[in-house]
Amino acid sequence: MSQDLTRRAAVAALAGGAGFLIQKAHGQVVWQVNASRCLNSRLGEVGVEACNLCTSSCVVGLSAVRAVNEHSKCGRCNICPAYFNIASAVDEKGLPSEKLCPRDAITRKPIGRQDPEDPSNNFYEYSIDEDKCDGCGRCVMKCKEPLGLGSITLRVRYDKCLNCNRCAISTACPKDALEQIPLPEALKSGEARTG
Amino acid sequence: MRPRVQAAALLVLLWLPWQAFSQAIPYTRPVETAPQENTIGGGYKTPAVQKPLPRNYWFQVFDVVLLAAAMGVSVWLVIRRRSRRWLVGLAIFSLAYFGFYREGCVCPIGSIQNVTVALTDPRYSIPIVVVATFFLPLFVALFFGRAFCGGVCALGAIQEMVVLKPVEVPRRIDRALGWLRYIYLLLAIFFALKPAIGRDFIICRFDPFVGLFRKTGPPHMLMIGGAFLVAGMFIGRPYCRYLCPYGVLLNWCSRLARHAVSITPDRELDCGLCNQACPYGAIVHMRAVRQDCLYCARCYASCPNERARAKRPLVAITRGTK
Repeated sequence: MSQDLTRRAAVAALAGGAGFLIQKAHGQVVWQVNASRCLNSRLGEVGVEACNLCTSSCVVGLSAVRAVNEHSKCGRCNICPAYFNIASAVDEKGLPSEKLCPRDAITRKPIGRQDPEDPSNNFYEYSIDEDKCDGCGRCVMKCKEPLGLGSITLRVRYDKCLNCNRCAISTACPKDALEQIPLPEALKSGEARTG
Repeated sequence: MRPRVQAAALLVLLWLPWQAFSQAIPYTRPVETAPQENTIGGGYKTPAVQKPLPRNYWFQVFDVVLLAAAMGVSVWLVIRRRSRRWLVGLAIFSLAYFGFYREGCVCPIGSIQNVTVALTDPRYSIPIVVVATFFLPLFVALFFGRAFCGGVCALGAIQEMVVLKPVEVPRRIDRALGWLRYIYLLLAIFFALKPAIGRDFIICRFDPFVGLFRKTGPPHMLMIGGAFLVAGMFIGRPYCRYLCPYGVLLNWCSRLARHAVSITPDRELDCGLCNQACPYGAIVHMRAVRQDCLYCARCYASCPNERARAKRPLVAITRGTK
C-alpha cells in the first residue's frame, strides 16, 4: 500500500516537472551563425585569412555550415572578389585567371540585358553549389566592405545539422557566433543581414 | 648552410613584391548597391535562396510516439508474452531506427542535461520533444520497470547484440562499479548547472556508441565504442550497468513498479537455469531484481516451464501468465 502511495507521489512529481518544462518549452531550436559576429562576415576583419573552423570542427562529414549568396543583396559584379582570386594574373579576357573557391563550388553566369560591346558592363549571377561547399568562408571574407556588399554569409543547413547539444563549431568559434535559437527566429534572421 | 638560407630568404623577399605588383589588377567595385530585377532587365528573376528546413516537426513528434509505442510493445512482449525472440526483433528495429537512422539523437540519456539546464536557466530553450523523450521512459518504469532498456534504447540494443559469453561479475565488483553511474550522473548535472559559457554536455560528448551510429566521430570515441562492444561480449551490457546515468533514474523509478519481470513462484522448478541465463546479474536468490533487470527476457527463454507453455496457442499464453 505504501508503495502505491509512493508511486503516486512519484508520478505526480514527474508530471509536475514535465508540465513545468512543457509550458516554457519551444517547439524546435536550431543552431545558426550570427553573421554580425562571424569572423568571416563581420565588418572590419579584412586582410586576414578566412577562418576555417566551421569546416574543420563540424561533426558532420562535409560541414553543415555552408556559404549562401543572398541574391537580392548581391552586387552582380563583373569581377567578383569572392569568385575570382583577384590577386592572380589577368588572362586574355581581362579577368583574373584563378578562382577563389578551393572546391570550385561557385558558378558564374551573365544575366539580364547583355552589352555586346563590353562584357564587363553585364550583370552576373553567382550561385553556390551547396553540395560542394564545405563552409571554409573564403568567399565570405572577400564579399564585404570595401570590395563587396556582404551578400555571402555562412549559414547552417538545418537538413544536414545534427543539432548537437554542444555544437562542436560553437565550442571552437573564437567569436561565439553560433547561437541556438527557435526555428522561426532563425528563418527570419536569414532574410536580413544584421550589422 | 647559413649563406644558402640567407640567399633563399633574399630571393623570397625580392619575389614577393614582384608577385604582388606585376600580377594583381587594380580592383574597383562597379556597383555601390545591389542591382535589383528592374535594373538588371532581360526578364531576370532573382532566384530564391535555399533554406533547407530541419526534420519536419511532425516527424519529430512521430519519433516520440514511436518511442512510446516501442516501450508498450516491450512491456507486452516481456511481461505478457514472455517472448525473447520477438524482443530481439524489437531491439533490432530500435537499433536500426533510433540508432542508425536517427543517429542516436534525441535520446533520454543525453536529455538529462537538457532538462537540468532548462530547469535552472530561464534563457535556455528546450524543445518539447526532448521533454517528452526524457519523461516517457521514467513513467513507464514507475509502472512496468525498465522496459526502455530492453528493446527500445539504441545504446542498450547495440550491446544486447554482442553478448556472446557473459561471465558473472563478482557481486562486490559489480556493486563497486555500479557507483560509477552515480558519479557520472552527478558530473553530468554539475556540468549542466554551469553558466552557459562553461557548460558541457558530457553525456553526449562521451557517448561511446553515437560515433558508430553516425559512422563518423573523433577517433578516440570510436575506439572507446569498439572497446565497449568487445568488453560487452564477455560482460553483459557494461555501459548500461556501470555508466548509464539515465539508468540511475530508471533504477529509482522501477523500484516502485507494480508489474515487472518476475520469476513466477507458483510454477518454479528451482532449477536455477534463469539465474545462469541472466547476463546482467539481475537475478538474486532466484528472484528478478526489478531495478537491475534490463528486460531482455533471457530468463523466460531459458525456462523449461516457459518453453513448454510457449508451444500452446497464443490465447492460452496471455491468459496463463496473468
